[in-house]
Order: sequence, then C-alpha cells, then structure tokens
Amino acid sequence: MSGAVEIAATTERRSRGSLWSKAVYKLSRDRFGMVGLAVVGIYLIVALGVWFGVWGQGWSDVTGPMWAAPSDEYRFGTNVIGQDIFERAIYSTKVAFEVGLVVAVLSTVIGAILGALAGYFSGTWIDEIVLWLKGVLDSIPFYLFVAALAFALQGFAYSMHVAMIATFWTTTGRLVRGEVIKLRGFEFVEAARALGVPELTIIFRHIIPNTFHILLVQATIVFVAAIKSEVILSFLGLGVKDGVSWGLMIAESTQEVLAGQFNNFIWASVFLFGLVMAFNLFSDALQDALDPRSVT
Amino acid sequence: MDLLQFAIRKLISGIPLVLGVTFISFVLMVYFGPDKTYELLGKNPTAQQIEEVRHQLGYDRPFLSRYSDYLRELSTLDFGHSDSTGERVIGLLGRTIPVSLALTTPGFVLGNLLGVLLALIAAYHRGGWIDKFIMGGAVVGMSVSFLIAIVGFQLIFSSSYGLNMFPVRGWDVYSLTDYLRYITVPTMATVFVALGYNTRFYRAVIVEEMTRDHVRTARAFGTRPWKLLYKNILKNSLIPIITRIMFSIPLVIISGSLLIESYFGIPGVGKVTYDAITTGDQPVLKAVVGLTAVLFVLTLLLTDILYKMVDPRVSLK
Repeated sequence: MSGAVEIAATTERRSRGSLWSKAVYKLSRDRFGMVGLAVVGIYLIVALGVWFGVWGQGWSDVTGPMWAAPSDEYRFGTNVIGQDIFERAIYSTKVAFEVGLVVAVLSTVIGAILGALAGYFSGTWIDEIVLWLKGVLDSIPFYLFVAALAFALQGFAYSMHVAMIATFWTTTGRLVRGEVIKLRGFEFVEAARALGVPELTIIFRHIIPNTFHILLVQATIVFVAAIKSEVILSFLGLGVKDGVSWGLMIAESTQEVLAGQFNNFIWASVFLFGLVMAFNLFSDALQDALDPRSVT
Repeated sequence: MDLLQFAIRKLISGIPLVLGVTFISFVLMVYFGPDKTYELLGKNPTAQQIEEVRHQLGYDRPFLSRYSDYLRELSTLDFGHSDSTGERVIGLLGRTIPVSLALTTPGFVLGNLLGVLLALIAAYHRGGWIDKFIMGGAVVGMSVSFLIAIVGFQLIFSSSYGLNMFPVRGWDVYSLTDYLRYITVPTMATVFVALGYNTRFYRAVIVEEMTRDHVRTARAFGTRPWKLLYKNILKNSLIPIITRIMFSIPLVIISGSLLIESYFGIPGVGKVTYDAITTGDQPVLKAVVGLTAVLFVLTLLLTDILYKMVDPRVSLK
C-alpha cells in the first residue's frame, strides 16, 4: 500500500519537474548515452593528464628502432623514425580535445548570438545580413577556405580553428533563428517589452537561455565534426602545424601501410573512432532527452 | 512564362551571394594571398625589375579594380592561364570536371539510394530489432573517419595484404572495365561514409511522415504496407529528401572529391584544386571558388523548380 503511494509521489514529482530535471532523468536512463559519456570522460582524463604533464610527454622523442613491434617498452610499437606510437596517440588526445572544445564553444556562441539577432529582428536588414553571411560561408568550398585563411593569417598556428569556427556556426545559427522566431511571439517576451526592457536585454537574458537545449546538442555535434575535420585537414597538410594529432599519425601511416606496418594506422584510428563513437552516442542520448517532441 | 520570370528573379537574387563569396575569397586568396613577385625574378633583381614584375602581376593596381577584374573573368569564364602549368584554366577545368563527375556520381547515387532504402526498412520495422540493428550500424558508420575508410578499403581490396583485386591508385581509363576497376574502391569508401548520415536523416524524415493522420487513415482503409510506404509516405517526404540531395551537389563536386582524388591520384577537379592550394595557383583557385558560388545559385533555382514538380501545392513566387 505504502509502495503504491510512493510510486504515485515519484511520478508526480517527475511530471512536475522542469525540462532540465526531466532531461537529466531521461539521460541517466539511456544506457548507450551513459556509456558514451563515461568513455568521453576517460578520454578527458587522458587529455587533462597530458595538459598537466603527467603522461604523453615523450611524443616527439626518437627512442626506439624503426617499426619496433609492440612490447612492454613500446606498448603500440614505434613508427618509421622510432617514435613511441603509444605516447603519440595519448598526446593527440589533448590536441583533439583542444580542437573540439575551442571550435564547439566558440562556434556555438557565435551561432547563438547571430541566430538570435536574426530571429528576433527577422524581416529586417539585420536578418538579411546574417542570412547572406550564412549563405556565403556555406557556399565557399571548406578546404579552400581553410587553406586561404591559413595563408592570410601568415602561418598563425590556430588558423584551422578559426576557419572551423567561422564556418561551423551556420547550422546552429539557422536552428536558433527558427526557435527565436517562435519564442518572439510568446507572452513573456511581450511582457518584457511592455515593461520597457531594452531589446538586447530581452534577447540575451530572456530569449537565448530558452534556446540552451538546441545549443547544447549542437555543441556536441560540432565537437565531433571538428575532430573529424581536423583529421582530414591534417592529412591534407592544412591542419595541425606543430605537435602531433591522430590525423598527422594517419597521414604518416599511409606510407607505412604500404610497407606492411599497421601499428600507427590502427592505433590512431582506434583512438579516433572510440572518441567520435562515444561522443555520437552521448549526443544522440542528449538529443532524445532534450527534445520533448522527438519521435523515435 | 511564369517559370522564366521566376528563374530570372531567382538568378538576380543570387547576385549578392556570388558577390559575397567572390569578395571573401578574393580578399583571403589574392589580396592577402601568396606574393608571386620573387618567384618570377632572377637573382639580385633591381628595384626597377621588381617594379615591372609587380606591375605585370597587377599588384600595384587599386583593390577595387583588381576585384572587378575577377568579376569580369567570372562573367566571361576567362580566367587566364594556370600559374604552374600554363594551361588555360577553363580548358583545365573542362578536362578535369568530367573525371570528377565520373568518379563521384556512382557513389553519390548509391549512397542516397541505399540510404533511402535502409531508412524505409528501418522505419517500417520501427522499434524492432531490424530497426535497432540498422540504426546502430548507422552510428558506427558515422563514427568512422573518411580518411580511415579510404585507407582501410584500399588495404582490404587493393593491396597485397588484402584481396589485391583492384588497382592501388591512379586513373588509367580507356574502357568500361577499366572505369569500373578504378572507381570501385573509392566508391565503396564514399558510400560507406555517407550511408550512416543518409540513413539517419532519411529515417527521421520518413518516421515524421509516418505519424501523420493521413497515413493512419490510409492504414485503416487497408492499404498494403509497402504501397503505403511508397505512395503515402515516401512521396510526401520528397521535399526534405530533394533539399538534402540538391544542396550536397555543389560541394560533392569540389570538396567531396578533393580527399579521394588527392589520395588515389585521380586527375579530377579536386586534385587540381588541391595542387592549386599547395602551389598557390591563384587563377585556378579563383575559377574554382567563383564557379562553385555560381553553381550554388543555380542549385537554389533548380531546387525550387523541383519542389514545384513534386508538390503542386508549392507556388513559385
């Protein structure tokens, strides 16, 4: 009897909760999503360890013979000039998180601001300009844009990051714009306007916080896209300039593979695949949890 | 007549887009781009020689006149000669674009057809194990980097460590069998990478359409499941499907083949673009960027006309 009352009480509490508490509850029940989150957490610890100098510092040391087999000393073997593949793969985790986080955070911020401005002032010249900018950036071939920006910035080490931030905000911007056009007609916005709240305050304090669910999901999607793009850009020689990344490791390995040496290729691929897969699972779970209308 | 008027209006409204793309790429690639002066000069040039070369390259002219030159080049399709090979740019593109089309079309078509097919199967068995299996496979496919897929497929199918059935790289095509031999591995890699994204997108579109009232009514009237999928669901989800396919076309032609072509050494427009990037060959780069922007405007127009054809409720205004 008391059990039934308890169940009724918990379901009632749950149905009264906010979007966020419901989302956290739903997310925590998503097994694949939680596994993904745990794996991303492990990668993050690895990346932080590199950041604080705990491990992965010997990535550029030439310590072993060429193409040593995996052993206790070289856990994943060595590459063509005798560098430890394990150390390089570990260090690259930090590089991947750097690219992913920087691009995801900044492009989401830009997408939120421009999308919200375009949506709130939709139909005016502000909207026109944002839409035009988005169309232009979407129509420039991405690799050319990265290369051109790298040249124009005169070898600035983060030109790849800048290029990604400048182009990846457009999808976020479009989604936020659509949501803001919807929100603009709601009563709380009308009330704020009637009270004389300045328009920019309305946008930044009242409207953008209501698009956080879109921003969070978009940020995870951009994170994955940035890591995947880094690999291809580094392979093409347009990406990471100094240091090492999974893309550079795969680029090295395309020569080794033809000679029958697979360690570099396999481990860089496994590390990359693991992080991207985990993030994709987490991103899907987040999307399911945050979108109340989602049909699956 | 309506159609013609619509087309003209649409093309005119595309002008700001072309101007924006050409302006940004001109500023980045040409104005701040590589300075070719010293490559053309011998050792110990005099100030006068430097002046002459700079004049010849047009570096001393004001920004706006150089930019309007670019626009004139784009409107007459005369981009001059390639810096590195001396070939006329338009001839170079005319020679390489067909190669790229021949290379990417099979993968693009297959990737989308298989995507729609898998999405239909998954949506039909929604919630069942077939659906879970297909969608799980899609997430795995989405997580494999394009580069890894290319290297992996090359190892498996065309190296002596694998099946060794196809040429490792290159493009030596004189007959249909040659053609099929050279495109198989790149096509498999392209399809593999695109399939995950396509299946997910199309499944979401189809499931959304499946939950509508008219589908429930049709089902209640006893329409057969596959006819229902084809006639009531697929036909109604054509608009987002067309949008996705059409908008990937301009980028598939240039960017999509850049990695494949430079990796497999196939002389298509992607390879030409990549070489132009590495050598700073501005006439080629200007042509590629400008033409892509024009292609985008044409795609926008064509997409709108296609909407009208598949859905009579859409009006062209």
